[in-house]
Amino acid sequence: MTRTALAALVGVFLALAAPLQAPAQSQPAADLQTLLQDNAELVADASRRTVQDILDILVDSQLPEVPQFLATWQDRELYQRNSDGLFVYVEDGDADPLTLIDISTGEVLGTAGSRDVTQLRPNRGVQGVIAATRVQFQLASDDPARRMAALDSIESDPEESHLALLQGLLDTETDPDLRARIEVILPALVIAFSDEDAPRVAAIESLSGNISLSARATLNPLLATRLELAEALPDGANIARELEPGSDALSREDAYEMLVEEGLAPPRVSRSDILSVLTANIVDGTVGGIPVAELNTEEARDRAYAALVAADLAPPAPSEADVTASLGSVVFFERYLEDSAAVTTAARETLDGIETRVGFYRFLDLSLDGISLASIYFLAAIGLAITFGVMGVINMAHGEFIMIGAYTGFVVQSLVPNETASLAIAIPLAFVVTFMAGVAMERLVIRWLYHRPLETLLATFGISIALQQIVRLVFGALTQPLTPPDWLAGSVTLNDVVSISSVRVAIFILAALFFVVLWLILNRTRLGLEVRAVTQNPAMAASMGINPDRINMLTFGLGSGIAGIAGVAIGLFAQVVPDMGTNYIVQSFMTVVVGGVGNIFGTLVGASMIGGLQKAIEWLNPTNTLAAQTYMILFVILFIQFRPRGIIALRGRAAGD
Amino acid sequence: MGNSIFVRNRSVPIFIAVLALVALCVTFLSPAYGTGALSVSFTKVLGMTLCLCLAALAMDLVWGYCGILSLGHFAFFGLGGYMIGMWLMTARTEAVIRANLAESPIPPTEAEVSQATALQIFSVVGAEDWPWMWAVSDSLVLSLVMVVLVPGLLALVFGWLAFRSRVTGVYLSILTQAMTLALSLYLFQNDTGLRGNNGLSGLQNIPGAEAIGQERLSVWFFWASALALGLGYIGAAWLVSGKFGNILRGIRDDELRVRFLGYPVEVYKLVVFTLSAMICGVAGALYYPQAGIINPDEIAPIASIYLAVWVAIGGRGRLYGAVIGAAVVSLLSTYFTSGRAPDVDLGFYEISWIDWWPVLLGLGFVLVTLFAPRGLAGLFDYVVRRQDP
Repeated sequence: MTRTALAALVGVFLALAAPLQAPAQSQPAADLQTLLQDNAELVADASRRTVQDILDILVDSQLPEVPQFLATWQDRELYQRNSDGLFVYVEDGDADPLTLIDISTGEVLGTAGSRDVTQLRPNRGVQGVIAATRVQFQLASDDPARRMAALDSIESDPEESHLALLQGLLDTETDPDLRARIEVILPALVIAFSDEDAPRVAAIESLSGNISLSARATLNPLLATRLELAEALPDGANIARELEPGSDALSREDAYEMLVEEGLAPPRVSRSDILSVLTANIVDGTVGGIPVAELNTEEARDRAYAALVAADLAPPAPSEADVTASLGSVVFFERYLEDSAAVTTAARETLDGIETRVGFYRFLDLSLDGISLASIYFLAAIGLAITFGVMGVINMAHGEFIMIGAYTGFVVQSLVPNETASLAIAIPLAFVVTFMAGVAMERLVIRWLYHRPLETLLATFGISIALQQIVRLVFGALTQPLTPPDWLAGSVTLNDVVSISSVRVAIFILAALFFVVLWLILNRTRLGLEVRAVTQNPAMAASMGINPDRINMLTFGLGSGIAGIAGVAIGLFAQVVPDMGTNYIVQSFMTVVVGGVGNIFGTLVGASMIGGLQKAIEWLNPTNTLAAQTYMILFVILFIQFRPRGIIALRGRAAGD
Repeated sequence: MGNSIFVRNRSVPIFIAVLALVALCVTFLSPAYGTGALSVSFTKVLGMTLCLCLAALAMDLVWGYCGILSLGHFAFFGLGGYMIGMWLMTARTEAVIRANLAESPIPPTEAEVSQATALQIFSVVGAEDWPWMWAVSDSLVLSLVMVVLVPGLLALVFGWLAFRSRVTGVYLSILTQAMTLALSLYLFQNDTGLRGNNGLSGLQNIPGAEAIGQERLSVWFFWASALALGLGYIGAAWLVSGKFGNILRGIRDDELRVRFLGYPVEVYKLVVFTLSAMICGVAGALYYPQAGIINPDEIAPIASIYLAVWVAIGGRGRLYGAVIGAAVVSLLSTYFTSGRAPDVDLGFYEISWIDWWPVLLGLGFVLVTLFAPRGLAGLFDYVVRRQDP
């Protein structure tokens, strides 16, 4: 559909435009130097009128050296040897003597003094023609990257002659990326260079539904307006809208300012103007008969100013009624810079359609952001969902396990330079390190405090600040780099609106994986069964032959180990610093509490809700992520009032207490 | 006097006596009224420590007596500081502006002074108008009312929401922590009217007291802090010694049973939580003029956790425990992190106290929790019991 429309509109345009250059004469493909020597005059004394002939000959020759030759020529780095008229390149234009290089083979031909050769300096006009030909040459190239480069240069510096070239390319091009570019650039050229409305409108409409940035950049300038005023609306002008002074779009002050600038009204006298006039007219401690000491109210100053006006010492200030009358005598309107109403209407309609689609994709992009944030929260909280959610232990050092995981990644990366390999080592290693730390902590501290949950909080807080400080002593307080491997460095891009960085995609996958694995461990394995038994009733579980101490130790280790892996993932996109854990601890607790304590499904729901909500609030006020966090926390506080046990609350005996 | 609080609670007369003794010592060692053995800045540190003790006392009321572990009490402390800080900053800036404008040939209008003051205060966050929350900042009396009212109101609303839906234990702790985090994030924004992360500064310059000088002001603030702590102690002791205190302890030990006995548990909790927040507000209002600056970092969740830890280390459920904990830990922290403590050279490694103090402090929390659940004050019980079986 788009293609036929384009072909049609280009056809219309070509019929209207002046016929392009005459067909070039055919030349047998020969040596480049021979070709040049045959037309030596045309090369050496090229002028804007004559250069096209030799260029056509060169293009027709299809010789592989031609692009480089044209580039060198255009850059004024082509030389001609005076003795035999041979065209040569030079290795270094500033050297003396110059080293001459053959234009075809690239072999060194010998040296020459600067007097023995003539540097060819095509003027700006000739350079332009050469550049256009180079574009043509590049467009005919077999290498898609070169064709793309040619499109770039057309887009940044469009010329009328490019139109036919692009039309030709559109018929033959098979690469979808290139086609998409051409389908935007071609209408842009038509819009820019056509004088008639019909092809321009057709070009505009061919962009309909195209959400790329360059399509929008083509259409937006067509709708640019200028604010003007006149006594009556001018006939035949392409007027966007009329503006009422005092409306949102045009304040009374700005409107009056315009009148003053046009010389249609006297300037207003501001309070600071009054003050400076009064200051300039102090006579014997009084102004206009009023003592200076009394001039500390606006009312007294107005009286003094009125007295000065009466004495002809100051310009009269226009009253509010004068201002209203002056504003009423003229109309204010926005006029399109583009004169054709048909074009602006078509542009407006097409752009509105595009904006609707862009809005949809923005929403999609925002949803992806929300999901990605939710996966981060989930990842940070999932370890806590086990230690706090399942075991009921408040581990304030959970954030420090995340930090230790990230530092494990950093250490591995500084030992193993290959990023992919280091990541593959770091993830299991981080699990092992934090698992051991968790087990040690459970055995040494938490085991003794199971009946005093609030005191666990204080003890683990102590461990948290001690761990932070030890890491700070060992690694320093500065941010350490944890570089993602190359295959995670880029981003996944759907179009100009929707894109998401690969690290975030990986984190989403990791979060999903964690969820599945943990769910399986807790619900489908012997260990999971024992964990649930011990959390529900340790004494009963013990009498069934389960060792509660061992289960508690393993569960706590599992939760901590998962925090370590999460730390490696978080370290890939966040800063690795000793106090990075504190950024996640409060959010993680809220995630677990909102979701509902005691099951990891609740944590998933809680993280989705908190992440999605925060992005939604950010969307309402995009400049302020702090505000989004604030309102999100307030929402959580209110939410807990209505569902104190979280979204997914355990019922019955399992709820315990 | 037979039923006086001084008799009913034996710790009160001892505490007041010790506090008076400390105040006397500081006065005689201060640069303005005594030998000058204490520097001005250390006098301020001592005054600030008393304010922290008052906050710990308030914390002990809710946690030690009512079992509500609030991890957001520094929000109330900081709000008190912000309330008085607004007056201090407005009054002082206005005085400076008036002095500058007095040199202009035509006397300024009130509107001009107010505008110039606002510009001076808020230009750092790119604003020039008075935010609504500064409405009473030109009145000392109203600002002092706000010091008590605003933290009290926040505690009342928050407590009403939380206690009504029976959020208890750990969940309540996490909610209070979320509250203080939300407040500090809110204050960190530049456009919310309290100068964002710049906070309020220059609070040590008391308007109208420039001639007195920091040497004497520091002692005056110390006295004021001591007075506040003394009154707070007597008030808290009176509160927990009567029937009200018994019910609070009942709620702490078995909330359900107290509820079934017919007591409105929510009301008791709400009253003690709000009162405690008000005391914290007063403590903050006395603290920040001595500290000189307040910014949203002060309200970050970690500060409130420290407050809880001081109370735990001192010993919960006995008012003097909270005071001892706060004084000992915060003074030790100041000593070790100020660089005054001599480094220990082990030959192969030099232990720098500034670096290692947080590690020791953290491990100290763990040890106290594990081996001395009654805190430092619990040691007194031990000694007393040995002497008097």
